[in-house]
Amino acid sequence: MVIGSQDLSDKQIFTTGEAADVCKISQQTIIRCFDRGKLKGFRVPGSRFRRIPRDELVRFMRENDIPIESLARGRKRLLIVDDDEQILELFLDVFRDDERFEIKTAGTGYDAGILTEQFRPDLIILDYMLPDVNGNIVCQTIRNNPDMANTKIIIVSGVADQKEVGRLLEAGADGFLKKPFSIDELLKNITQLLQI
Amino acid sequence: MDHPRARHVELILKQVNALPTLPAVATRLLSLTANEQSEIQDVVDLITTDPALTAKVLSLCRSANLGIRTPIMTVDQAVVMLGFNAIRNAVLSMKVFDTFEESEQASPDSARLCRADFWRHSIAVAVAAENIAKAHPHLPDLNAADAFVCGLLHDIGKLALDMLLPRSYERVIELTKLNRGNIAEFERSIVGIDHHTTGKRLAEQWHLPHKLQDCIWLHGADPSTLPNLDHRRLIGLISLADMMARKLHIGFSGNFQTKDDIASLADQLGLNVKVVHAIEKTLIEDVKNRSSILGLSQVPSRELFYESIQRANEELGRLNNALERRSQVSVEQSKILTAVTDFHAQAVPGRSVQEVIDAVIQSANQTLGQGFFVMLWQPQNEKHNRQWMIRQYLDTSIPREVHEGVDQGSNFPSEFSGGGWQLIDPPPHAPDLAQLDPGGPAAMNLVSIIPWVADYLIQSPDVRKIQMLPLSCGWGTSAILLHDREQLPAWAQLSTLTHTWGAAIAGASQHEGARRLGEELAESNLALAEAQDQLLQAEAMTRLGEMASGAAHEMNNPLAVICGRSQLLARSLDPDSSSHKHAQTIVEQSHRLSDLITALKLCTESVLPDRVPTDIEALLEQTLQNVRESLGELADQVGMEVQLIEPLPNVLLDPVQIKQALSALICNALEASTDATAKIQAQLSEDANHLQIKVSDTGPGMDEHTLAHAMDPFFSAKPAGRQVGMGLTRAQQLALAHGGEVGLCSAPGHGTEATLSLPLDSSLNLTDTP
Repeated sequence: MVIGSQDLSDKQIFTTGEAADVCKISQQTIIRCFDRGKLKGFRVPGSRFRRIPRDELVRFMRENDIPIESLARGRKRLLIVDDDEQILELFLDVFRDDERFEIKTAGTGYDAGILTEQFRPDLIILDYMLPDVNGNIVCQTIRNNPDMANTKIIIVSGVADQKEVGRLLEAGADGFLKKPFSIDELLKNITQLLQI
Repeated sequence: MDHPRARHVELILKQVNALPTLPAVATRLLSLTANEQSEIQDVVDLITTDPALTAKVLSLCRSANLGIRTPIMTVDQAVVMLGFNAIRNAVLSMKVFDTFEESEQASPDSARLCRADFWRHSIAVAVAAENIAKAHPHLPDLNAADAFVCGLLHDIGKLALDMLLPRSYERVIELTKLNRGNIAEFERSIVGIDHHTTGKRLAEQWHLPHKLQDCIWLHGADPSTLPNLDHRRLIGLISLADMMARKLHIGFSGNFQTKDDIASLADQLGLNVKVVHAIEKTLIEDVKNRSSILGLSQVPSRELFYESIQRANEELGRLNNALERRSQVSVEQSKILTAVTDFHAQAVPGRSVQEVIDAVIQSANQTLGQGFFVMLWQPQNEKHNRQWMIRQYLDTSIPREVHEGVDQGSNFPSEFSGGGWQLIDPPPHAPDLAQLDPGGPAAMNLVSIIPWVADYLIQSPDVRKIQMLPLSCGWGTSAILLHDREQLPAWAQLSTLTHTWGAAIAGASQHEGARRLGEELAESNLALAEAQDQLLQAEAMTRLGEMASGAAHEMNNPLAVICGRSQLLARSLDPDSSSHKHAQTIVEQSHRLSDLITALKLCTESVLPDRVPTDIEALLEQTLQNVRESLGELADQVGMEVQLIEPLPNVLLDPVQIKQALSALICNALEASTDATAKIQAQLSEDANHLQIKVSDTGPGMDEHTLAHAMDPFFSAKPAGRQVGMGLTRAQQLALAHGGEVGLCSAPGHGTEATLSLPLDSSLNLTDTP
């Protein structure tokens, strides 16, 4: 989404003016809320300029039922985690020409953790068997972070043990796909989970 | 003993056996004079047949100095005058003496056994023994006449050895003299056998009484080392008398071993030591007097020996009687022996204990007479540990059924059923059958020993008459024969028979035990082999499982790439082109391969049913639903018919697993059927212990080969290229995990019926935890 000439979708720190734009309310209201502590933020050191972190803005908007779409980007961010490069390339090719998605990939659980923090993916396609950590641990870690309450997780595995799948879903996964998978089915799952 | 020496001794013993027996005339005379009804004429006739004997009897009359002026000229007169006993003794002693007649006169320097000194020693021993026995009239086992004869003949073995091996024996005498040692030791080291053993053989050969045999054999031995014989004291007495004679140097026995422990030996024998000493003091005088009377003081004379032998008069007469008795006994013995022979003649190898016992009863019927018999026996196997078995036989050897009308079949192992054997649980205080004393005589009253057994003798005409006869073998009582006979053969003879029976039963029991052991070993061997097979199979499955699990992960990744790439490829192609179709095929085949890997993994996983009470009808409905769903669009083209033969209870099972198993069976049936229909029937088994779900199809059926391998993983009777058969394998696996099984019944042209059978009883339905 483009507001004015600025793309705010990637912005992490908002000025009160920018926040007013995003929320489609007046800058005065934002300032008032900021000063009353309803909208938390900080002042630029050495000045009185108010600054609002993205997370806090999102929380404020949700709290006050302000539509958030304006903040959301136009493209959904997908993080694909698999230790098999061929699989990663396959995924990249699947989504290459799809305008709806922005893709990043990780080969280990460690990389996945870092990227999750930075990239803030809307959906993670997670290989269950990673070289350093099992998928269910990754799942739990993400679920224990309230900032990522909305992040969807689809587990992909070559082994489809009913009980294992059940445990994964309990651990917080939103879907399960068995390798080899049908691309159509994968896309269907993703669009359903992301409601697009 | 080394072999050459053993052979040497055998040779000597053979020669002992070859020594002249008591001449026939002596034996005959013994029997004639012992019989009170014998006529004098018979004795006279016997004597006159032997001219030498005639002459000797006549000369005996003369030397006996009977104070008759006119010499006796006829045998008749001699017999009348001397009397039966004198004649008999004279003849016997003469013949014994004749047997050992010195072939040549020994030179004075020679070390050879001097016959005169030898007999003097023998007489001294005889007189001493006789005197001591006389002095102890209160000891019934010391008879003066016995003592005299035993003393006289105790060293007869020396004479035999001297006669058989004159040179060797000369050396024995010489060395004994030189070393002042015990003659028996030198006999053993030079000749290889001592005079004790030689004398025993000779005594046996001559059928001398047992007492005499044992005195000859065992004299000189420490009485405490002797077996518990009735005449142990007599043997000790001879040893004592021998010791006294040697101490006083009366005559010469060849032995130089002198021990001065007369007092302690006498004490040991329970004799009055003072009396023995008194006898010892007068012994030289007594022997001299006796010898003088017999004219033996100067020169050894045959007459002296005749006279001394007369002392043995009564004993030898008794010997004769004993022979008579023995002949009577031997009649009975021969009966027993015949019975034993008959019994053995019927023996065939490998008879069961029951057969042997039947044979024993038959034998008992023949030897003891017809009557009521009961066999009491304790099987040795563990199953009947401490239990006794009893069987009643009436008159005939055909056993009667006990407790007619009572079904014994279920309580008895098959080998015992129908044969009238009853199994008894003995009360806790009951003795072990094998421990019952088998040594006693036959007339033990059963009721006094094991009263409760009487309860099992209901067919007996009179329980009070019943007595027990233990049948013993080497290690105890093997069985007890109960009988109502009043008269039995003497125990001495009967014991031969009871031991034979007992040994046969024990043998059969041992044989049966060994056979059973062998069979059990073979069985456990089979079971072991089977278990090992299963173990190997389980091991193979575990390995396959590990492999499948790894494969599932490792192979599905590349498959996912193949599959995904093909899908992308297909997208870029014209949907109507053949290339598009090929790309689609690649996708399908990679899915198929993946399914196969999954199936393989499932197959090797251990199955742990999570059992809940399940309604079977609902389960079947759900299963059909699942099958329809899996078939997708094809669901309309198949026919599935469910039939509940009877109302079914809820069954404890894992519904997910059983649905899986049933689905596999149904899919299999649908694929096999030409018209894609499957018929499903649910019912209880005939014994109502199992739930049976039958899935049948109208397909071509299976041949034997297919049927045999239908459950094998990867086996498929379908043409190549169609889905691989893991379904039945999985179904069987799930059924087994529930304690049930899948059975296949099929024949070419008749379709196939697969039956999933599950136990209703949850206790049967438990599987081992992994």
